[in-house]
Amino acid sequence: MEFAWTAEQQQFRETVRAFLAEHLPEDWESQAHGPGSEHQTAFSKLFCARLAEAGLLVPHWPEEWGGRNLDAWSAFILAEEMWMAGEPRGGQYMNVNWIGPTLMRYGSPEQQARYIPPMAAGQSLWCQGFSEPEAGSDLASLRTRAERDGDLYRVNGQKVWTSYAGEADTCFLLARTDASKRGISIFLLPMDTPGITVRQIPSVIGEGDIHEVFFDDVELPASARLGEEGQAWDIVRAALALERVGIPRFALASKTLHRAVARLKAEGRFGHGAVEQAARAHAACEAARLYSYQIIDQRHQGLSTGAEANAARYATVNAERAVGEFVVEHIPEALAGGETMLLAHHQRAIVAGIASGAAEIQLNLIATNLLELPREPR
Amino acid sequence: MDFTLTDDQQAVAAAIEQIAEDFGSTPTEAHGFALVSNALDEALTEAGFFDIAAVPELGPVTAAVAVEQLARLPWTTEIALSMLVGPQLDGDWARPFAVIENGRPSRFAASAKTWIVIDGDQVSIGPASDAVEPVESLFAYPMARLTQAPGFAALPDDQARTIRRLLRVALAAEVAGLMQGAIDSTVEHLSVRKQFGRPLGSFQALRHRMAECAVLAGGVRHLALKAAWSGDDGDAALAALHAQDSATRLIYDVHQMLGAMGMTLEHPLHLWTYRMKALLSEQGGRGGQAVEVARHCFAA
Repeated sequence: MEFAWTAEQQQFRETVRAFLAEHLPEDWESQAHGPGSEHQTAFSKLFCARLAEAGLLVPHWPEEWGGRNLDAWSAFILAEEMWMAGEPRGGQYMNVNWIGPTLMRYGSPEQQARYIPPMAAGQSLWCQGFSEPEAGSDLASLRTRAERDGDLYRVNGQKVWTSYAGEADTCFLLARTDASKRGISIFLLPMDTPGITVRQIPSVIGEGDIHEVFFDDVELPASARLGEEGQAWDIVRAALALERVGIPRFALASKTLHRAVARLKAEGRFGHGAVEQAARAHAACEAARLYSYQIIDQRHQGLSTGAEANAARYATVNAERAVGEFVVEHIPEALAGGETMLLAHHQRAIVAGIASGAAEIQLNLIATNLLELPREPR
Repeated sequence: MDFTLTDDQQAVAAAIEQIAEDFGSTPTEAHGFALVSNALDEALTEAGFFDIAAVPELGPVTAAVAVEQLARLPWTTEIALSMLVGPQLDGDWARPFAVIENGRPSRFAASAKTWIVIDGDQVSIGPASDAVEPVESLFAYPMARLTQAPGFAALPDDQARTIRRLLRVALAAEVAGLMQGAIDSTVEHLSVRKQFGRPLGSFQALRHRMAECAVLAGGVRHLALKAAWSGDDGDAALAALHAQDSATRLIYDVHQMLGAMGMTLEHPLHLWTYRMKALLSEQGGRGGQAVEVARHCFAA
């Protein structure tokens, strides 16, 4: 058991930090940049192209796809530094973390050749067509259907809460191909296909972040299907295993907490109540950090991650919540024309318990798979 | 960063698991508030397990793993201080240990051979005497209070600071195991006990609370092991804070799950929960840990 970073890992972190220092605009932190906004998307394409040139966009991918075969730790160190810096890659982090690796595993040679190189060059943005008005946590009840018609599929239905849809070029779409519960398939759908309508949903989490997406007789070739018909669950499960401990939220939460405490101290406002609350929030961040590292260690060793990944995610939700609540209580001006960095954290933290599977779903999985409690009757 | 135990560490953990097997079940007849086993003490002594923190290939992190494993048992003896504090002290002090904090009754004070005395900011250490009397207690450890102050000389600041750190790590490692013991016992009850025609554990309101407890217990364990490994004051305070915070919450939850059964001495739940309750106030309680966290982690 060893909790220190190796010299190489430290060196890698320094390299990433140096890159960020060199390539982020000086006023980056004080600017508001909604994660899915037009401005952020345009910036991410410039930024990710430079990351790619420096070998820092997909370093953990295999060489044949533009990577350097670095390990799971490097991928996570990279993710920590990017997330702490306000995620300048925007939605492209999804390509790096799970869409690329999922296509490498399940994609046809044509799909791989078409979609992976633009990801590795930092030039594509995807959205994730999962949730629907009637299918959130109960994803299996989704209604968007893809009907086979010769060499085509015809898609009709609606997605909602879709991040990045306004600027995305491709959608990783889940649609029903038959009426059974498992009759769901995945399609790689170019967003400029006729019949797609995207509407932004104004929200408290920032500009351009969530959308409704409508599909009216959208036609796509059978070759756009990822894997077999009905294989969606297997693929999604593999993808979510990467996504669940994907964003190192604890890292930005911890940075935010330290920033907030420094400010309170400087202003002589770090009194007894604040000390206790800050200390608790810090403990929650560090617990989430170690939980996440344990999952990365398992990934690094090629082990499959079980309910511990759900526990890691829940610990991360606790950490985000503790820091978010601390800032709101002690620096309320953060939400009212105050410090952009604190506001940006708040907006990112709101979704911690919702995005990539509600926290309560994690608790169900922990109860069943870790504690082995009897299941709820259905 | 490597969460796998080394071969040496695994061997120790396996050997401890084997000893633990003999002390994993509670006596069927009613038992008292504490459940102390001299046989467990002897088995651990004989195997040399109280000294593993001082063995270079094993170190404090292995001792913390062992403390967590053993704290899950219904039977106990003075383990955490002997494994995590004793071997890392300056000088040779005989186990068992007891911490006398601000004159309050302490666990194992009557059977201890060495007393660590905390009075406000001062820490001292010395041989136990017979100036001690047992007290009746709900806590599931044998409790005793000193009948006169031992008058040990205060330790220099650096030694006092080390002892406080070691005590915090010991506390966190022990709480991690106690939480897990309480969870295991509660899960068993929830899986068997039926109400409204189905096992209690199938009700989502209870499943979620137990899952949250499991997340907290895992977090305490992670922080305790990290603090044992790092020897950092801030890490120790974080671990102790998360331990006391999480235990406070868990104790309430698991007693709710057990209903009246959890109030009886027949059921073992109190062994874990009333050990945790004894630990909640140690080292200044949550407020004390928070001040330490602020001192070491928010210094800049």
